[in-house]
Amino acid sequence: MPSHFLLMVLYALVVGVFFTALWRRQPRDQVRLFLQLFLGLVIGALVVAWLMLPFPPGPPTSAP
Amino acid sequence: MSASERKGASAAETESVPQRAWLAAGAAWLVPGLGHLLLGRRARALLFAILVFGSLAIGIWLHGPLLFFEGGIIGTLVTLASMGVGLPYFALRLTDYQGEALAIGFEYGKAFIATAGLMNLLLVLDAWDIACGRKE
Repeated sequence: MPSHFLLMVLYALVVGVFFTALWRRQPRDQVRLFLQLFLGLVIGALVVAWLMLPFPPGPPTSAP
Repeated sequence: MSASERKGASAAETESVPQRAWLAAGAAWLVPGLGHLLLGRRARALLFAILVFGSLAIGIWLHGPLLFFEGGIIGTLVTLASMGVGLPYFALRLTDYQGEALAIGFEYGKAFIATAGLMNLLLVLDAWDIACGRKE
């Protein structure tokens, strides 16, 4: 399985392309919206992950 | 054309739009991309089909679940979102595929499957708007 980061980037890519195709018609607008969505999702997730860093992850779970 | 004929033609036009819209929206839900294809948007239909089927395929590849009203409120919402994919959801339910709760990608897979359904539901609304003439 790919890394968690790669899956997050893939998810941002799919969602970004989808909403760009749905909401914009002009190529220039499409590029701008795609970059906003894609970078917003990836950078936003990294920021949230960074903010969560000080919090304890909880007790370890035992494998069944 | 007399006034009554014009009135009849106008009524027929307003009645034919919802029928076309229902057909496009229903087709869009059943098979991702089909609604746009019926409305003559071939390129967009192909792109949307690739995105929705691709997202679903990634979810299955990651062993995400195909929930059916299990797991409380969140599970119900995820089920409704996943059902948005249309026929592929029910076709997969007929197989023995259930996902793997212990797989590393289980939660990611769930997100991709639910997202595929939500994207397709937005496509249903888009097809409806195009058929009604509210959108190009």
